[in-house]
Amino acid sequence: MSTAPQTTAAPETKPDADAGSEPLVLLELIQRLKVRDVMTSQLTTVPRSSTMRQVQELMRQKKISGVPVEEDGRFFGLVSIDDIIRALGGGYISDPCSRHMTTKLVVLEDDMPLSFALRYFDRYHYGRFPVLNRDQRLVGIICQRDINRALLVELTHELNRLENVKVHAVDKEGNYSIYVLREFPICKYDFENAGKAANQIKQVLQEKKFPPKVIRRIAVAAYELEINLCVHSDGGVLSWLISNGRAEIVARDAGPGIEDVVWACQDGTSTANEWIRSLGFGAGMGLANVKRVSDEFEITSKKGSGTTVKSVIYVDVPAGT
Amino acid sequence: MTLQGLMEACGLEGVLVEDGCVDVTGVYTSDLLSDVMAHCPDGAVLVTVQNHTNTVAVCTLVGAPAILIVHGRAIPDEMLAAARREKIALLRTRDDQFAASCKLGRVLGLG
Amino acid sequence: MTMIEVAEVLKAEVLVKGEGVHKAIRHVVASDLMSDVLLVDEEDMLLLTSLASDQVLRTAQIVGAVGVVVVNGKPLPSSMVNVANDLHMSLATCKVSKYDACVAVHAALNPA
Repeated sequence: MSTAPQTTAAPETKPDADAGSEPLVLLELIQRLKVRDVMTSQLTTVPRSSTMRQVQELMRQKKISGVPVEEDGRFFGLVSIDDIIRALGGGYISDPCSRHMTTKLVVLEDDMPLSFALRYFDRYHYGRFPVLNRDQRLVGIICQRDINRALLVELTHELNRLENVKVHAVDKEGNYSIYVLREFPICKYDFENAGKAANQIKQVLQEKKFPPKVIRRIAVAAYELEINLCVHSDGGVLSWLISNGRAEIVARDAGPGIEDVVWACQDGTSTANEWIRSLGFGAGMGLANVKRVSDEFEITSKKGSGTTVKSVIYVDVPAGT
Repeated sequence: MTLQGLMEACGLEGVLVEDGCVDVTGVYTSDLLSDVMAHCPDGAVLVTVQNHTNTVAVCTLVGAPAILIVHGRAIPDEMLAAARREKIALLRTRDDQFAASCKLGRVLGLG
Repeated sequence: MTMIEVAEVLKAEVLVKGEGVHKAIRHVVASDLMSDVLLVDEEDMLLLTSLASDQVLRTAQIVGAVGVVVVNGKPLPSSMVNVANDLHMSLATCKVSKYDACVAVHAALNPA
C-alpha cells in the first residue's frame, strides 16, 4: 500500500527562555544557519520497489544508516538500520521496502533555522531527519554529524575574523571576551533586504535577554545605519560586536562620501530624493537618531571616498552568558 | 466649521492664516504625498509631518485649504512662500499625528 | 486594548497574528515616515500607517511594536505577509482612512 508518509513537520515554536548558556557567537550561528545550509543533499535513495536486502546492501556500501524512499522527489518514507535488523530477524529481508519503511516521521523544512533542528534532535532521539522543501519534495537529510561539521567550519571562520579584529577594551587581568561579531554586506537600494540585519541583531539580543532599553537603542542604531548604507551609499558593510561592556555598530562604505558631516548629523537634513521618500525613508533623522541613542558616536567621511560611522552603546552582559 | 473655529477649539498655532473663515469639512492624515493625492477629500485639513513645498502643491491639487504640521516642526521659508502664493493656510501643533487627529476628531467627528 | 480588539473596532482583516497580538496597546503611532517611528521611545505601540512595505514591519520590530495596521484598504505586497511571519509581527489591513482609524481607536481606548 503506498500512501504518503504521515509526516509531522517540526512545529515552529519560540525558543526556550533558558536556551542554555551558549555564547552569543554560537547562538547567532545556529539561528542564522538554515537546515539547508547544513544538510546532506547528495542523497542515496531507493524507489518503493527496492527490496530490504537492496537497501541493506546500499547502507553497507555507502556507510549510511538511513535511506529515504522516494520517487522523483516525492517522499514516501525512511528505512533505517533498525528496520533492516528487524527484517533480518523476522525473515522478510526480501520484501519490498515500501512494506516495512517507517512512514510516521518527523521531518524538517529546509528553511528552518538550525536552532529548531537541534531541539528536535534533542526531543526525538532519531539519528536523522529527512528534509523537505516548501513543495513537500525531499531535498536532503540531516544528521548530527552534518551539524557538527557545519558548526566546526563556521566557528573556524568566526575565529579567523575575531583574530583580525582590534578589540578596544581589555579587562584588568588582560583578558578580553567577545560575545558576538558579525558582518552584514549591505547593497545599494536593496529595499527587499533593508533592515533585515538589524532585525536579526535584535532577535539575538532578545534571545540573550539583554535589558529592553539597551536592545531598543542597539536595534535603532543598527537599523538607521543599515538603511543609510542602503539608501545613501554605494553599498557597504554593517558590522556589530559586543565586547567587554560595549556594543559597537559600525557602518562602512566606499562612497560617495559626505561633504559636510556636521550638517548630515543634524535633525531634518537629508539628501534623499522623492522616490526614496515615497518608500518611507529619507526624512533626514537617521544619523541624528543614531547619535541620540549612542553613548559614543564617531563619523569620518570625505566627499568622493568612503564613510565610516560608529555607534557605541554600553551594555552589561546579562548574568549567565 | 471655520478654520478659525477649529484652531480655537483644538489649540492649533496659526503660522499662516490669511482667511480664517474658510470652511473645513474634513480631515486627512497622511505623510505620503502620493496617498494624499489619491484620497484626500476636498475641503479637508491635511495633518502631516511633511513640512516642505511639495505638500503645498499637493493640497492645491486636491482642494485642501489647510495643512496642520505636527511634531512642532519648523516651517521652511520656501513652504511659507508657496502657501502664501497658493492661498493654503498653515497650522502647527506640538502633538503627533495620532494626538492631533484625535483632537480634530473630537470636534469634527468621523470623515 | 489588544490588536484583536482594535481589528474589531476598525473592521480590519488580521493577516498575521504575531507575538504581541494579545498584548495591551500602550501607545498609538500614526506615521508614514519610518524615521519618525524610530524616534518613538514608547513600548507596546500600535502602528497605523498608509505605507504598505516590508520596511514598515522591520521598523515595527525594531521599536517593539505590538502590531501594524495598514489603512485605506491598500493592497499589500505579498512579501509583507512573509516578513510579518518571519518577525512574528501582527499585521492587519482596514478600509477606513488613517484619520478615521485614529478617531475610532481613540474612542475605543477612552470610552466616555
